[in-house]
Amino acid sequence: MSTPVLEARSLSFSYARHTAPVLDGWDAAFHAGQTAALTGPSGRGKSTLLYLLGLMLHPTGGDVLIDGTSVSGLRDGVKAKIRADRFGFVFQDAALDASRSVLDNVTETALYRGQPRRDARARAVELLDRFGVDVPPARRPGQVSGGQAQRIALCRALLSDPRILLADEPTGNLDPATSQIVVAALKAHAATGAAVIVVTHSPEVAAACDREIRL
Amino acid sequence: MKAFAVVREAFASAISQPVASILTILMIAGMIVTVMLTTGRTVGAEQRVLGSIDDAGTRTIQIRAENGAGLTSDVLDRIAGIDGIEWAAGFSAAIDATNTQIPDGTRVPVRLAYGTHLERLGIPAHSPVPGGLAYASPLALTQFGLPDIAGSITLTTGTSYGMAGQLHTPDFLAGFEPVTLIPQPEVTGDETVNVLLVIADRPDLVAPVSDAVLSVLAVDDPTKITVQTSEALAQLRQIVQTQLGTFARGLVLIILAVTGILVAIILYGLVMMRRKDFGRRRALGATRALIIALLLTQIGLLALAGILAGVTASTIILALSGDPQPGWTFTTAATTLAIATALTAALIPALAAARREPIHELRVP
Repeated sequence: MSTPVLEARSLSFSYARHTAPVLDGWDAAFHAGQTAALTGPSGRGKSTLLYLLGLMLHPTGGDVLIDGTSVSGLRDGVKAKIRADRFGFVFQDAALDASRSVLDNVTETALYRGQPRRDARARAVELLDRFGVDVPPARRPGQVSGGQAQRIALCRALLSDPRILLADEPTGNLDPATSQIVVAALKAHAATGAAVIVVTHSPEVAAACDREIRL
Repeated sequence: MKAFAVVREAFASAISQPVASILTILMIAGMIVTVMLTTGRTVGAEQRVLGSIDDAGTRTIQIRAENGAGLTSDVLDRIAGIDGIEWAAGFSAAIDATNTQIPDGTRVPVRLAYGTHLERLGIPAHSPVPGGLAYASPLALTQFGLPDIAGSITLTTGTSYGMAGQLHTPDFLAGFEPVTLIPQPEVTGDETVNVLLVIADRPDLVAPVSDAVLSVLAVDDPTKITVQTSEALAQLRQIVQTQLGTFARGLVLIILAVTGILVAIILYGLVMMRRKDFGRRRALGATRALIIALLLTQIGLLALAGILAGVTASTIILALSGDPQPGWTFTTAATTLAIATALTAALIPALAAARREPIHELRVP
């Protein structure tokens, strides 16, 4: 089988010393073109795992590999660059900047990657149109619905066509119709050759993914 | 390209947070206004006091040579090699003269003038009649009866000179009033000089320049030389400048320290309010260095706006109150210090912003 796009080897994590580990020796591999659902009861470390895989937390043990290369020990600045270049993130509550326009929110990561602003804006307009975000690009996130906000967050995550897409409860606050749009978008992105990992409590979302990993 | 993108993003961030931005601008403007209306006013007053002392001739060295002293015009060539001299000229003994048309009119003292920089007195560099024209102060022109500067004067020696223009009499020539000069552009070096006037570059150079000039006088009888310097005035000037300068610097440091702390507190509060924003940026791939650069650039832009507002406001206030303006040198120094203070005050909040951990800011409980 081909080298996984993203891999966790004996991954362990504790929030503080002398406390029980949230994760202890966890292994998993995620391949291009696949969607994986991380499921399980609250408090089992699903989101923590997602942040570890996304290089936002440093594991207390084990390693994270991207395309077979260990990245856990890299400097913070290098990890940030990897996040900007290779990852797309969809957070639980969309996490948009309420003080900036919809278009600015979608193009935010262009600055971190050094992508030309004009290219980013053109791509953003295309994505907003594709996901049916029917609001003026100058409008603020506070003036759109929750479903539209999550789709805007999805547009932001897809701006760079990332090889790895991490989504933390992307449908948590959405109605079934909007949830279907988001899940379809995640699967469509996986079909382009990306690895998509979704933390979810929704059996429907988990069922729609290629594999389910229970924690 | 990246730098421009950072500035654009910082500007967009500042625009998108109008309340925080206006608060920061007002703080910086307040800092500048406070500095300008306290220390700036002191500096303006200091400059006015120093100007008054300078008007009294703090930099003047006057050397008088009695008849038979042997001081000649070639001394000007010798002192030309001395550093620290702004201006020098030699003058002959006074010769009485009257309006040619009124031989019994008021007798006014006239002096031959030697030197190559007489333009400072209002005498043209090149004369159409070298050595044949006279220039007089308004008082001398009145006493000659030539208020329109039209006519000629005749010395008691019988030589006549056309009156060619009016002198700008500087303070250091005030003791010669009424002043009438006949410039002598073509000299042999043997002409007798009665008064040698030397202006030092700075008040503190009066003593060394005076010593240097005395060493190259080459007179026949040094006992007939009298030197008058403004060293006491120069020392007074130095004392005034030092004491007022120390007070001003102390005041600036106190104001900047107090306002800097206030700016830091406000900025820290603003960063804490935006911690989710910085956490999101970090999660999406912004490096810590970029977060710091963005925040410092944003504060730098707001500081520039605040400084512009502060300088404009304080200039208007000082003008309306009739107080002296502190001048560009002080204003530039104050604005530079204000920017440095704002950026220093922003550094700790910027570091705090850069250390926001995404998981703490983005997870929904």
